[in-house]
Amino acid sequence: MAKESKKKGESEEEGGEFDDFMADISQEIAKRVESLDTKPKAPPVERKKTPAVPDAGLIVEWPNIADRMIEEMR
Amino acid sequence: MSVVNYGTREITCKIVYYGPGRSGKTTNLQHVYSQLPEERKGKMVSLATETDRTLFFDFLPLDLGTISGFATRFQLYTVPGQVYYAATRKLVLQGVDGVVFVADSQSRQLAENIESLQDLHANLADEGLDPRTLPLVMQYNKRDLPAGEISSIEGLDETLNFRDVPYFSATAINGGGVFETLRSIASLVLSRLSAPAVKES
Repeated sequence: MAKESKKKGESEEEGGEFDDFMADISQEIAKRVESLDTKPKAPPVERKKTPAVPDAGLIVEWPNIADRMIEEMR
Repeated sequence: MSVVNYGTREITCKIVYYGPGRSGKTTNLQHVYSQLPEERKGKMVSLATETDRTLFFDFLPLDLGTISGFATRFQLYTVPGQVYYAATRKLVLQGVDGVVFVADSQSRQLAENIESLQDLHANLADEGLDPRTLPLVMQYNKRDLPAGEISSIEGLDETLNFRDVPYFSATAINGGGVFETLRSIASLVLSRLSAPAVKES
């Protein structure tokens, strides 16, 4: 199925054309993303993490009380 | 149709190479694949018959890495050009963001080009996509054939390019015009990221 492509010279060395393409596309994407970014972004959804066992006397923030109860029952 | 996902910080674009049988759609993808640097070379999935005709479709995932904080992927597909694979063509067009129409420049293939273009429009309409606004680029392939066998670019453009979209002459067999075409359709697709078209999904 795979056919050997003939090289055309110029920027056709392996990856050369692709690099040019990438450079153009990266610019285009950066521009578009920037224009989209003007609207307020929703904060990234924070995944619940199991807090590390606190050192004695250290007060840590718990995401919510249910998490804390479950954690303490373990 | 959704090409940008702020939740997962991903941009995914699906580009389909459409056109009559043996016009050079698979050859376009093969050239792109041949130019990928090793570290980006995934798998090009290609299902062909013994006579090298595309049986189902070709699929080339192009992972462009993280650009401006977005993991960017282009998915390149071809459709089987042969008339009796109509259902497959419809399936491949689902969720398409842009189309490259690969026309065979040979004069004797003009009717096939027209038929395939009409087929494209009908299938897009069936998918609820507007053939008049979907990003589209024309590629007039096989320009390396003897002048007596091929139609002029102007003639092809006048017959096929009624939307007046960007067009490229190509000799995909040796890579001529392949990346120019891809760059153009990618740019058109990306330009819709900031347009209200995003809300269409």
